[in-house]
Amino acid sequence: MNVGRAYVDILEPRRKPGGIVGFMTRNWYPQHTMTLDKKYSPEDLKDLVANSLYMDSIMESICSRTGATKEELQKIVHNFLEEMGLDKKVHVIRWMGVLFLKICFMMKIKMFVNEVAVFKLKSIMGNNPVLFLPTHRSYADFCLMTYLCYHFNIDFPAVAAGMDFYSMAVIGRRMRETGAFYIRRTLGGDELYAVTLKQYVKTVVAKHAAPIEFFLEGTRSRSNKSMPPKYGMLSMAMVPFFSHEVSDITIVPVNISYDRLMETTLFAYEHLGVPKPKESTGGFLKALHNLNDHFGYIYLNVGLPISAREFFNQNPKVLNSPETAKPMDLQAVTPEQFKQVQSLANHVITVQQKNTMVTIANFVALTLMQNIQLNKLATIDEVYADIELFIKDLGYFGASIFVDLKDAVERILVVHQKMMKLDGEKRLKLIIASPMELSDEVKKKIKGHLMHPETMATSVSVIQLQLYVNPVLHFLVPASLLYLCVFHDPGQVTEVYFERVKVLRKMLSHEFFYVESDMEDKFQEALTFCSRHDVLAYDKEMDTLKLGKDKKRQWMLTWTLAPFITTLHVATLIMLEQHGRITEAEAAKRIQRKVVEFVQPREEHWLGHPYSLSLEVARNCLRGLADARSLIKYRGDNISYEAVPVNLEVAHRLTLSVLHRIPVDFHNNKAVCNQLLQSRL
Amino acid sequence: MLSDRNPYSPIVKMSAASASSSGSKMKNVENDNSSKRTVGSVKKKSSGDKNKKSESNTSSTIIKVKSVIPKRRQDLLKWYGWGYKDSMFKLEGNAATFTGNRYSIGGQTLPHLAQWAIDKFGIDPSRDPKIPELPKTFAESRLPESIRLELEEIAEVSIDGMDRLIRAHGQTLKDMAQLRTNSFPRIPDAVIWPDSHEQVEQIVACASRHNFVIIPFGGGTSVSGAVTCPAKETRPIVVLDTSDLNSILWLDKEQLLARVQAGIVGQDLEREMRARGFTVGHEPDSYEFSTLGGWVATRASGMKKNTYGNIEDLIVNTKVVTARGVFEKSCRVPRVSCGPEWEHVIMGSEGCFGVVTEVTIKIRPLPPVVRYGSLVFPDWESGFYFEREVARRRLQPSSIRLMDNEQFRFGQALKTENTWGGVLLDGLKRLYITKIKGFDPAKLCVVTLLMEGSAEEVSERESKLNNIAAQFGGIPAGATNGENGYTLTFVIAYLRDVAMEYDVVSESFETSVPWDRTLALCANVKQRIRNECAKRGIDKYLISHRLTQTYDAGCCIYFYFGHYIGNCVDPVSTYEEIEEAARDEIIACGGSISHHHGVGKLRKKWYADTVSEPGRQLLLAAKKALDPDNIFALGNMAFEEHSNNTDVSVKSKL
Repeated sequence: MNVGRAYVDILEPRRKPGGIVGFMTRNWYPQHTMTLDKKYSPEDLKDLVANSLYMDSIMESICSRTGATKEELQKIVHNFLEEMGLDKKVHVIRWMGVLFLKICFMMKIKMFVNEVAVFKLKSIMGNNPVLFLPTHRSYADFCLMTYLCYHFNIDFPAVAAGMDFYSMAVIGRRMRETGAFYIRRTLGGDELYAVTLKQYVKTVVAKHAAPIEFFLEGTRSRSNKSMPPKYGMLSMAMVPFFSHEVSDITIVPVNISYDRLMETTLFAYEHLGVPKPKESTGGFLKALHNLNDHFGYIYLNVGLPISAREFFNQNPKVLNSPETAKPMDLQAVTPEQFKQVQSLANHVITVQQKNTMVTIANFVALTLMQNIQLNKLATIDEVYADIELFIKDLGYFGASIFVDLKDAVERILVVHQKMMKLDGEKRLKLIIASPMELSDEVKKKIKGHLMHPETMATSVSVIQLQLYVNPVLHFLVPASLLYLCVFHDPGQVTEVYFERVKVLRKMLSHEFFYVESDMEDKFQEALTFCSRHDVLAYDKEMDTLKLGKDKKRQWMLTWTLAPFITTLHVATLIMLEQHGRITEAEAAKRIQRKVVEFVQPREEHWLGHPYSLSLEVARNCLRGLADARSLIKYRGDNISYEAVPVNLEVAHRLTLSVLHRIPVDFHNNKAVCNQLLQSRL
Repeated sequence: MLSDRNPYSPIVKMSAASASSSGSKMKNVENDNSSKRTVGSVKKKSSGDKNKKSESNTSSTIIKVKSVIPKRRQDLLKWYGWGYKDSMFKLEGNAATFTGNRYSIGGQTLPHLAQWAIDKFGIDPSRDPKIPELPKTFAESRLPESIRLELEEIAEVSIDGMDRLIRAHGQTLKDMAQLRTNSFPRIPDAVIWPDSHEQVEQIVACASRHNFVIIPFGGGTSVSGAVTCPAKETRPIVVLDTSDLNSILWLDKEQLLARVQAGIVGQDLEREMRARGFTVGHEPDSYEFSTLGGWVATRASGMKKNTYGNIEDLIVNTKVVTARGVFEKSCRVPRVSCGPEWEHVIMGSEGCFGVVTEVTIKIRPLPPVVRYGSLVFPDWESGFYFEREVARRRLQPSSIRLMDNEQFRFGQALKTENTWGGVLLDGLKRLYITKIKGFDPAKLCVVTLLMEGSAEEVSERESKLNNIAAQFGGIPAGATNGENGYTLTFVIAYLRDVAMEYDVVSESFETSVPWDRTLALCANVKQRIRNECAKRGIDKYLISHRLTQTYDAGCCIYFYFGHYIGNCVDPVSTYEEIEEAARDEIIACGGSISHHHGVGKLRKKWYADTVSEPGRQLLLAAKKALDPDNIFALGNMAFEEHSNNTDVSVKSKL
């Protein structure tokens, strides 16, 4: 469905002369999320936490266990709160807004928002806390959300930010002043920190009359697609609802899609195990320099608000818990409630997936990637034709599509001019960066297998392209798996395929998040798609499936999942070889090395999709295998795994049965233009 | 003449540190020979793991209390009597002492006591006290090994004889007599120490599965026979000792509430609360040893109930493990109109319906000022009318008690050696009261007062009370007398042991009575006892009473009765006969079966008449609903101590 028309570029009015200053200095009477008799300043919030019954009780308990004095603990809590607590300085926000707009114009960005959804949301605000749950693909997400709120006169959200920003000079402080509160990623072991955070989040939700914003996925997705949610933050935020301190909590899933991510190259390197540099203000300024370029459009899809009360109403145990007999402040989340929080979080992620804006950047990437794998050089007209087909098929699977085809491709080619280009005959090519020598210092820090510089260069470029393919893949996964199952073993009844697809989906669930209860519907949808287009031939009488004749779609369903299945299969191989426990990091590294052997039979000839080298994919496959009970997962400081030989053997055979080797030389490819070769020539 | 007392210093000298150190010093050498002992020496791995698990979970508000009383109670407590084993009265010739340093009279000579005892009971203080030998043989445990192993999976278990013996009884005279001679017809077959509500649930489920009996055991201070092992029970009996259930689960200083595991000992609870600036204020005379759960099960009353309320006023929520599941009200509210209050079925259930595991109890900020006072009245009647007037005007301080002349004189007998100044002052005071005011020393009575509040409130209350006292001929007699009176409260319980050692059997019993019948009841009961004694040729005895609590509609009267055994063949039975006669008289005079001691097994005779037949049926119905298999076969109140049909099922199940 093309939804372009509902979207408005909210930066447009600012491009007029004087558009920035007038807007950023206007009077500020925002819409609050709720009307409380007392207004709580950021300092009040910290005091409320420090003097809360909950903190007092915990400290009493810790004192009795450890012999620490209460004064000591109070001091520690005070420091925690100073580190954590948000601040709000409107003048800082105004200045940051000016800076933000300047940068946006430098990046030549348009910021499309489905305005009507925001107006609707605003109209129901005022009675209870609101949680903004955006996707997290880029650091820019913070700024975009805050600017969105300013634009629409909504109070600035309190944003949960990671500690890496905290230590950044100036920026750390400024972010705090625009409403960020800082949380440590690992709470492990420090009970007092964990409870301080819990109480702080609870208090901010219940008493800070502004939206609360955090990222369900916990961190930026390095793959430009959804990850399984983390549940801790949401369950903390839901406590005021469970304790009925607030009547409801409104949850707003937001999808933010980018034509071009600032972090593309960084992410590509991270997939291969080259660590990300530590966030620093210097780095930020350097990055700023690179922003004088075309970054295309950003799409903020504000989803339909979800009422926690309505969502949980299906389960009376959640609204009436025995915990109400406890003091309100000590009420904990019951196991039953936690389960429901999990399903809420999962639901939000699926909504985010569904609301993913599929843009022309994705379509161009899809087409180019497909042609590379066919070793085919396509003209711009062929590209258009391919795109039309993709639009049609993804539309079938319910994707939100934002396309204005005519000038869009040209626009994207400008935006991604470092990644792809048209050759003299208007044929689309991927640009492969020149190999770069890694310094010894970086080499030491590499988490993965050390690769040949050329392989590295090719891989980084292909992975960058893959990052724009990724966001649409979850639409295709069920059909793809179904097709692959039938391809390798045709003639079985659908039930057999369903079971296989189900297991495979589970194994890939960390790569392609889904909710298990949707499985059957999605399978039906895939089946209908395949039989309608004659990808598969469905025998109604026998309820069996055979291959159909639509080669084009068959090919699409084949190559899209191939790199993931390769890694999954190699993961089973590695774990079958392994005796005893192995840490996740070590296993991922070995998988990566094995993938190199697996797809590179001869020296120099790289015959596989580089994305299967991704350490992230390797880790996700291990987690998926553990979910499917082929591995036992041991939690702790370092996650580790141990094989369940019988199950793993089955998993191994199953992945082998759908493994589809596509020998493609990504380096010497018609659809690739090699910068290195060019420069040599 | 008034002394302000620092509210942080407890009335009785005790602290966890001193108790545990003296406990280890006092370790009984003989006891260590026991090879079967599991308590303390063998730490169960499983229970250790469970502790860890529960702590890492949601338990972060839990305050694990270190109890004064060790798991091996006998290390600190007297196995054959009341209280701490280092604290007791000793008679050596004419010099009496109270040993130990836990109480204010500890370690001091009591020059008048021996003479008083000789005058009153005709004892011979020159001979050695009768101290019983530590028992060596115990009834075999009837608990099948398979069940024991199953229970050990849940919590720590002991089948050691001493562990079982000291948990076979409460503190009635009969209990003491049988304990000293190791002649209980039945002692428990095992002891188990759960430390969480969940473990109690598992234990009760296990009991239901295997059809054995559970006796919940807190501080073992019952004076009704409630906790005493049912003599005729044929099934295995497991004592569920709640002493490890003593954590404070949460403490809400704003709402003034605490959620506490029910096994917590009174003094531990009070100490923990005081350390944080609060008090529960529930101080029955047994509160050094009795537990929260025990208070609930007996419907206890505390000395300071005027300020803090009785247990039924203090409790907001109770969690009980019954054989039919966990009983608990779903909300934490001050009051509810929702049919009969079933929580009141648990209060006073005397262990017959289940195990109280957790209680939400009110707490109060510590009063800034605690002040004692005393008033002297020419006789019992004028003191009584004073109390009545105070109650009528609802001017009761935290505690107000009226002692009769016997007790006043006994109090004098317990006086320690004084400095010259003290004696002189005493002499002057006596001179003033007897000569100038003309009070008869053989008739005068004393009211002791305990006042709490702000300095202003306390002073105001005191002057009001003095004014009322003046109307009834009373005169202030100083703070020290008042304070001594309250100190003695905790020491008096030790008297029965020394009495038994010198051939005196004694016991206290109490009742509640409407104001209009009080004077008559007191006189009649005293007379009845005199008659009963005369009938039996007993001439050396003491009968005394005091008025310990006042209400709008009446008061609580506390009787003390003791007699020299003289020629009695079976002094304990003789005593019981006389007490029974006294209770008959109480009931006839309009008094009740008990104010706060409970029914237990001792007062079953009067239960049905007290509650009426439908009331009794309700009790039986409640039992049927909560414990159809009679797992909690304590046999108190209207319950049989033994039912035939259970035998069959035991055989089939064991």
